[in-house]
Amino acid sequence: MKTYSDLEYLKLSKGKKFLYKISRFFCSIPQKILGLFVALWNLIKKGCSKVKEEAVDIFSTFVNGDWKTKVSFLVMGFGNIARGQILRGLLFLLFEVVFIGYMVLAGGYWLSMLPSLGKVGPSEEYDFVLDAYYTVYNDNSFKILLYGVLTIFFIIAFIYTWRVNVRQNKLAEQILAKGKKLKSGKDDLRSLVDDQFHKTLMALPLTGILIFTVLPIVFMILVAFTNYDGAHDGYYSNLFGWVGLDNFNTMLNWNVNSGGSVQSYAATFGEVLSWTLMWAFFATFTNYFLGMFVAMAINKKGINLKKLWRTVLVLTIAIPQFISLLYVSKMFAKNGIINGFLMSMGWITEALPFWEDPTWARITVIITNVWIGIPYLMLITTGILMNIPQDLYESARIDGANPWQQYTKITLPYMLFVTGPYLLTSFTGNMNNFNVIYLLTGGAPTNPAASSAAGTVGYTDLLITWLFKITQGAESQYYLASVVGILVFVVVALISLVVYNVLPSIKNEEDFQ
Amino acid sequence: MSEKNITNPMKRHMGLKTSRAIGNTAIYALLICISIIWLVPFVCIVLQSFRVELKGPVGYVLPKQWGLDNYKALFQTDFPRWYANTFIAALVTAVLQTIIVLCMSYTLSRFRFKMRKPLMRFMLILGMFPGMLTMIILYRVLKDLGMTQANAVPGLILVYIASSGMGYYVSKGFFDTIPKSLDEAARVDGATRFQVLKKIILPLSKPIVIYTILTAFMGPWGDYVFAQYISFGTSAGMNVAVGMYRWLNKDQIAASYTMFCAGGVLVAIPVTVLFMCLQKYYVEGVTGGAVKG
Amino acid sequence: MASVKLTDVKKIYENKVTAVHDFNLEIADKEFVVFVGPSGCGKSTTLRMIAGLEDISDGTVEIDGVVVNDLQPKDRDIAMVFQNYALYPHMTVYDNIAFSLRLQKMPEDQVYEKVTNAAEILGITEYLTRKPRALSGGQRQRVAIGRAMVRNAKVFLMDEPLSNLDAKLRNQMRAEIILLRQKLDTTFVYVTHDQTEAMTLGDRIVIMRDGIIEQVGTPTEVFEMPRNIFVAEFIGAPKMNMIETELVRKGDQYFVMPFGTPIGVTGEKREELLKKNVQSCNIVLGVRPEHMVLADDSDDAIPCKLEVNEMMGSELHLHVYTEDETRLIVRIPTINLSMDQRKSLVFGKELKVTFESKVMHFFDKETQKNLIYGD
Repeated sequence: MKTYSDLEYLKLSKGKKFLYKISRFFCSIPQKILGLFVALWNLIKKGCSKVKEEAVDIFSTFVNGDWKTKVSFLVMGFGNIARGQILRGLLFLLFEVVFIGYMVLAGGYWLSMLPSLGKVGPSEEYDFVLDAYYTVYNDNSFKILLYGVLTIFFIIAFIYTWRVNVRQNKLAEQILAKGKKLKSGKDDLRSLVDDQFHKTLMALPLTGILIFTVLPIVFMILVAFTNYDGAHDGYYSNLFGWVGLDNFNTMLNWNVNSGGSVQSYAATFGEVLSWTLMWAFFATFTNYFLGMFVAMAINKKGINLKKLWRTVLVLTIAIPQFISLLYVSKMFAKNGIINGFLMSMGWITEALPFWEDPTWARITVIITNVWIGIPYLMLITTGILMNIPQDLYESARIDGANPWQQYTKITLPYMLFVTGPYLLTSFTGNMNNFNVIYLLTGGAPTNPAASSAAGTVGYTDLLITWLFKITQGAESQYYLASVVGILVFVVVALISLVVYNVLPSIKNEEDFQ
Repeated sequence: MSEKNITNPMKRHMGLKTSRAIGNTAIYALLICISIIWLVPFVCIVLQSFRVELKGPVGYVLPKQWGLDNYKALFQTDFPRWYANTFIAALVTAVLQTIIVLCMSYTLSRFRFKMRKPLMRFMLILGMFPGMLTMIILYRVLKDLGMTQANAVPGLILVYIASSGMGYYVSKGFFDTIPKSLDEAARVDGATRFQVLKKIILPLSKPIVIYTILTAFMGPWGDYVFAQYISFGTSAGMNVAVGMYRWLNKDQIAASYTMFCAGGVLVAIPVTVLFMCLQKYYVEGVTGGAVKG
Repeated sequence: MASVKLTDVKKIYENKVTAVHDFNLEIADKEFVVFVGPSGCGKSTTLRMIAGLEDISDGTVEIDGVVVNDLQPKDRDIAMVFQNYALYPHMTVYDNIAFSLRLQKMPEDQVYEKVTNAAEILGITEYLTRKPRALSGGQRQRVAIGRAMVRNAKVFLMDEPLSNLDAKLRNQMRAEIILLRQKLDTTFVYVTHDQTEAMTLGDRIVIMRDGIIEQVGTPTEVFEMPRNIFVAEFIGAPKMNMIETELVRKGDQYFVMPFGTPIGVTGEKREELLKKNVQSCNIVLGVRPEHMVLADDSDDAIPCKLEVNEMMGSELHLHVYTEDETRLIVRIPTINLSMDQRKSLVFGKELKVTFESKVMHFFDKETQKNLIYGD
């Protein structure tokens, strides 16, 4: 591979430049992968040295500290209280008491059950007083897993707090040694609306994210390694267990178990994934370009009633999608308005299979999505188009560029640069665009070849709607849903990683500030 | 177009003018077409909501017999209940989510603390997991807490607002455009960080506050999937989307299609009115958000 | 009213870039100190550390004898004027100026008195009810100053306050700041990249480069006794001519050899060189453009050709180049030349320039330091 210097590169013809760039990109892939591993390795090394540093620091704090510090290693907050920082000390102490109490009363149990996820299932017991049978639920795998994870979170939080406690003792000693005063409880409280205001502001949001996003995600990742499903969740059995990588094996298995017309699980997954990617691609770019086109049409000089056109389009954003999508889905139905209209006009004699034929359905979905998406894109692009300096166009016109050249040489590059990150999020967002697919088609038409797979897989099903379907009904194979979820994450993460490295506008967040 | 006519300035002028007129006419035609395509479904919904003669889907648009029967019929169903559920959930969510989002985005825009970048990266990664996945467990937990089925509304609100801190992007982009020197000037003038937020930043952030409220309201108003999970087939706990979705099932559509249209009109009206009034702010938020990315 | 003392102040950013190295400075009560230097030299960072807007990585900042490192800006009792004015756009001029007073919970009648008083001084009374967006640049600047004025703070900080104004307004505001200073009679720290502002405003000037103080001194000191080439070139416009040459010592006599033309060093400069016992060496000879004169055909003048003739009105700036292509600028009062002479100064005209030894600055070629005032 010949490498050109910058000036040599400029001399190349257009086609050669393109080829050169492409080949450079592919040549750089091994290097990039290597770089990734190196970065990973450095991260691990950094982590190790950090842990070592912390350990050394803790040790030296203990050795060099006074007796107040030493006691604090066991009784958190003691040092703070002894040095007059009552509020902080009490908080530390309270946390320690709560933690120990929790671990003794409940945490220990959950933690000890975690490896087995419970042994004794529900049983019928006889109540002599009431003379009736009642159900004893005994171990409950779901709760064990949930509270087990929670307990681990709690332990991590405790270790961190303990570390902070130790560090504070060290800092307090240093400050006192310099002859300065420690912050009082009042100072601490005051700083919560001032220099530590960010902690106050973020406490609630981060707690929400931790409990309602991080915890569930960790839980669901773990579920992918169990056999948790509808049959293991309820009255007859609430026990499930670890199964290792079995679920991933099922999902990515190419073997066909029964009959010739049924395809393997992996083939189904591949089919859904490829349609998901295809859909995301078309949904993103049709909207993007058509939206930009409409925006340019509305903003063109000499076009009147700009506000009216815009408002008509924006109206569609206001109306809840479930109404518009469900309605549109019925419009395209066999006995819907569109077929009715076409037939009454005599253009067709038989209803068009908008939702019945796989290809028709896919195209109709994409077209309907354009209808949904253009107004939004029109708004976004209008704002950006107005930001393009007019003198660029004036200068281009003087240089002799026609409107098409102005578009490809000025408008488009500018737009792509500015909206690069948006396109990426829009792409990944479309991959997970549950609403449009589920409300329009519900995944239909059904793919008969995929009947062995969980849920009813259809030709317009995205991974996300498939995931949803898997969790519905009596079978509710949550473990497979988790696997699909994890794979969705992997795909999204990979795409984002690649694109992030290519996009120029994403690297410098602060440049805009 | 007209470069060839450069020798005759008069002719060139005429050429420019006529070609522009042709172009504009084409654009007007296009815009009218677009407007029709975009409006037709909504006009159809409204028209069909007044249809009396047949309750199922039909192949024609104009009702043969007009009347308010469908609207009356709505009140024989659980629709008012669903409407109330949706409204309460949306309203509470709008308020709480706005507060959370603003806290988060203001912090990430203005404070430089050690964990800032890792935190943002972490949230980015979290966002790559399909949110639906978490529903399975949240449903179970909420069920244990008694916040599902008939009591779905508080559970729904909790689900809607819990992770809203992750939606800080757009408003952070807006805050980033407010010069930092304003904060600094205020701090030198004797304001605490809290006072800076209250007296300087918030008064300047009206567009983004309204945008956040608007989107926070519209999310729950049209949500289907979370509400479907949490109401779990109990009519009293449904929101409009879940309730009305069932009317279009194969076995119900023949009897309740026009009722769906009537319900749709009632659901759409308040948001549309709200939206039209606040359109300016919405546009500002959308545009700013995308540019900042 | 207070002194400011910076001891070994350092600023290291998160990305390990050091913006300010061991900054030591004592600012006396009621002194007007100007930090000047090219952009990125750390002058604004230093000011912001005094204000409490940047963390201090190391060292201490004292205001009135109290270490303020850990104090929030609001607790430091300082006032500051920002480069882009930083007026609160949603408040009227009155509210802008009153903002800090209201935060102090001052009664409204006192606020009114203070604000109108300040507005009076600054001549912005008629704009008090307007919003900043309805004001011109100069008026905004006054509001910003007014906002800082009413606080009666111990230290008055100004971060390039004039750089957003056009040239004419800048001159006017500069004069007003001098007046303001007399009225306020407090400690000023002023940051600018403009050496004219520094020279005209400062009691003392701190010249910085790459986070290091190059020289601290009164305007006269830094102009007449620059410690190194950087300071010499930075102060004065057009900038000082620099000629690489040799300093030759013969007994008690010194010569410089610009472009092979030996020029004797006499008088005070010779005394100074002798006192420092400077030996023959390679030097950079500095001569300010206004100290160069056109010579008649004398031997100890430097021959050169005219390239550009800038007519500035009261003076001419002649850009000339010598045989070895060194570019020099000669600044001559227009009045010293007859009409014919001025007309003859066209491109390519051969000239001879010379200068006296008392205007010479000698810099070591290696260390760039002034041989006389270098330490």
